[in-house]
Amino acid sequence: MTDSYETLSADVLVIGAGGAGLRAAIEAAAAGARVAIVCKSLLGKAHTVMAEGGIAAALGNVDPDDNWQVHFQDTMRGGQLINNWRMAQLHAQESPDRVYELETYGAIFDRTPDGRIMQRAFGAHTYRRLCHVGDRTGLEMIRALQDRVVQLGIEVHMEVTVTRLLKDGERVVGAFGYNRIDGRFVAFRSKAVILATGGWGRIYKVTSNSWEGTGDGVAMGFEAGAEVLDPEMVQFHPTGMVWPPGVRGILVTEAVRGEGGYLKNREGQRFMLEYDPKKKELSSRDVVARSIYKEVQAGRGTEHGGVYLDVTHLGADKIKAKLPSMYDQFLRLADVDITKSPMEVAPTIHYAMGGMRVEPETGATTVPGLYAAGEVAAGLHGANRLGGNSLSDLLVFGRRAGAAAGAYRREVALGAIDDRQVSDEQQLLLLPFSADGTENPYFLQQRLQQAMQDGAGLAREEKGLKTCLNTILELRQRAARIRVPGSRRYNPGWHTARDLRFMLTIAEAIVRAAIERRESRGAHWRLDYLEKDPALGRVNFIAYSDAGAMKLRQRPVQPMPPELAKLLEEPVSKVATPQPPEAKRIPA
Amino acid sequence: MTNGSIVLQVFRGEDLGGKEVRFEVPAVEGMVVLDAIHYVQANYANDLACRWNCKAAKCGSCSAEINGRPRLMCKTRVDEFPDQEIHVWPMRTFPLIKDLVTDVSWNYEVNKQIPAFTPRPNEPVPYRMLPEDTERVYEYRRCIECFLCQDVCHVLRNHDDKSLYYGPRYMVRIAGLEMHPLDSVRRTGLLHGKAGVGMCNITKCCQEVCPEHIKITDNAIIPLKERMTTDVYDPVAWIGRKLRPRRDAIGGGAAAGELGAVRPPQRFAVKDVIRLKSRGRPMARVGGVRPDGKLEIWVLKMKGTQQHWSGPKVIESSDVTNNYGPLDEVGIGSKLFEQTLVEHEG
Repeated sequence: MTDSYETLSADVLVIGAGGAGLRAAIEAAAAGARVAIVCKSLLGKAHTVMAEGGIAAALGNVDPDDNWQVHFQDTMRGGQLINNWRMAQLHAQESPDRVYELETYGAIFDRTPDGRIMQRAFGAHTYRRLCHVGDRTGLEMIRALQDRVVQLGIEVHMEVTVTRLLKDGERVVGAFGYNRIDGRFVAFRSKAVILATGGWGRIYKVTSNSWEGTGDGVAMGFEAGAEVLDPEMVQFHPTGMVWPPGVRGILVTEAVRGEGGYLKNREGQRFMLEYDPKKKELSSRDVVARSIYKEVQAGRGTEHGGVYLDVTHLGADKIKAKLPSMYDQFLRLADVDITKSPMEVAPTIHYAMGGMRVEPETGATTVPGLYAAGEVAAGLHGANRLGGNSLSDLLVFGRRAGAAAGAYRREVALGAIDDRQVSDEQQLLLLPFSADGTENPYFLQQRLQQAMQDGAGLAREEKGLKTCLNTILELRQRAARIRVPGSRRYNPGWHTARDLRFMLTIAEAIVRAAIERRESRGAHWRLDYLEKDPALGRVNFIAYSDAGAMKLRQRPVQPMPPELAKLLEEPVSKVATPQPPEAKRIPA
Repeated sequence: MTNGSIVLQVFRGEDLGGKEVRFEVPAVEGMVVLDAIHYVQANYANDLACRWNCKAAKCGSCSAEINGRPRLMCKTRVDEFPDQEIHVWPMRTFPLIKDLVTDVSWNYEVNKQIPAFTPRPNEPVPYRMLPEDTERVYEYRRCIECFLCQDVCHVLRNHDDKSLYYGPRYMVRIAGLEMHPLDSVRRTGLLHGKAGVGMCNITKCCQEVCPEHIKITDNAIIPLKERMTTDVYDPVAWIGRKLRPRRDAIGGGAAAGELGAVRPPQRFAVKDVIRLKSRGRPMARVGGVRPDGKLEIWVLKMKGTQQHWSGPKVIESSDVTNNYGPLDEVGIGSKLFEQTLVEHEG
């Protein structure tokens, strides 16, 4: 039995309206395809909007020695060499053009005195490479892309949640979901589907991510038979807010340390001098996050379980000029005047390096008709992402996926919609209104978030991971007994009930892969295997669906061509410049 | 806040029949209104509808009216209201969907009508733009599209004249495009016509509620009014454009290029605020319109901090270069009027 639903059709369906989705849509439309975008929120609210620091592209405007080869080296080294080399190469080569192109859509980056795009230094980038607009680079980017999408007349279906990919044989031929506003069901028929759904920080308790980061895309892709690569690689940003409780997890930008901020423990010691005497506070994110964790574990943390981030020595004028939004954020939300007192910070879940396994050139997943770009795709960042590489990732691979999907749709006809798949999904969606149970979707979500935080967080070990896995499997049973009040009209409890299933799928993949990676590498830190294992450094883990059950297998890291391998044998040509001159900007 | 708990009165309903529902939420240090709403959602009302995303004042999703004032819920701390109940209502300028969620789709439709950034055809890429030319544009581009300015705008809210005026948000967007150093399109025809910049009577309420502290009226709307007036009503500028055409005028309303021969009638209300052409005094208040169509005006003169009105004088309506529309006797607009005057005198 099927409930009524509306059917819409397009050549290319893009799921997600962040940087990758919008860029993909623009490119597919440019290839002549009829494109439809669906997004869970209003247009322009996607997570890209929160990016602060900048977009990494080797323009060489400030440091003329910079070029794609150096950017490639930095990205591969940062990812601990389990990245896909071809993606890292394409990314480093194409980022500059994507940044310039963004300005033709109307974006305006901060400028050098002679009118070119300004660039700033960031952790583990050899040269000053991050193009930025003050501390609101993501907003500038999404607005430019959004304006372009509107200009091209691309259809955008706002506040529509897609919950299942529809298949015709082996091919993905559309998607099914519901309109959040009135709960109406909607099916999309399309020749190609591009996943651009972002990450899954929301499965953790302390995160800088919004409610949207529930891993929908990767879970739907997995259920449709696509492979999930490196799920265990989850990035902690070293500095999130800690106190008061309501703001826990909100990002404190890396620029605070870039401007010369010190990390101190309760005894006032600059502990990074011990953990990384060379790069100190500007060490890579995984190293700084671990160091903070160790200090807190050793009893040298602050009252609320963090460490201090101190900029008071910089002087009030410099702080207000260089870090206006941080000054405002702490004053308003935490009653802390950062010109007089230190901030309290602790690591916060920030980014998913893992995701759909894709072809580097096209973003094609392992299922025909299904493409992925942006945070939902994997391979570029390996075991640790460098700051600024995510925004360029969105543009480079968003464009490639859009072009490939735009070409693919010429080769195929619209597929058939299978009523059975539709009615299965409708039943699943409607279950919370009729289920025999009293489970509260929010409580189960909180339970999952706590379990992931405790068992699969920054520091992992086998015992905790296995406990976490058991909790996930138990929650999966309980999710069937969720009951929500009210109607289908804009009902967040109902929405959460379905989101929770996506979250459980990706949580399971993370934990299963984290158990199997018996070593410490990049963001994955195992207390019971503290060293790197060279054998595991040659493989990626892949989670896949085998008749509905999640299985895991290893896949060898693809060997690099000799000319690129040679690049990585060279020593780092120059240490990152910690104190960049910043472009002048209007204070907030 | 009583006994470590706060009392929320949250609007609930799907139409005008909705009403406030009382919830008691345990107070937590540093809590913002959005935290309290989340607590209600998880513990009392799973189906309570509200929009939110970033919870860090960057996305502009969680707009609401908190104790009568349009604000972001993620940026409003509950301890701002000690010993008070906190009333949370949806934005009232837009049609209600449910609880705190309103239908803001009109804004997106308006946005589609604005001509996008259009560089000159052969502008070399990468672009060169000097920092001094780009700096003023950053303020407009800070907008997070929370639509609080649209919510508070009298034209949209009280008079529901959504067909006459695009609202402050889109004045900000147009200002950002108009002042982009490499943009080659003029939107003054649109401003004069469908966008309706003349509808704004400068009460500045929009800039008071802007969470990004954009000076919407001062830095976007007033400059656009001036730009529009120069383009649409100034025959000298029109001839100049004919001789040296630089930009294409496009958009709704009358095309600027056609307005030189036949001047459209300007309408004045008593107490309109206007700007005079080459009379030594930049702004004046219209005291009345005489039967012959001429205007009686008063000019506010400033000497140091002293001010006095001089008049009435009688002028032709063609002596007016800009009409700022009606003015409140005691409203914020009059303050602005005086401030602007002082700036010009100084």
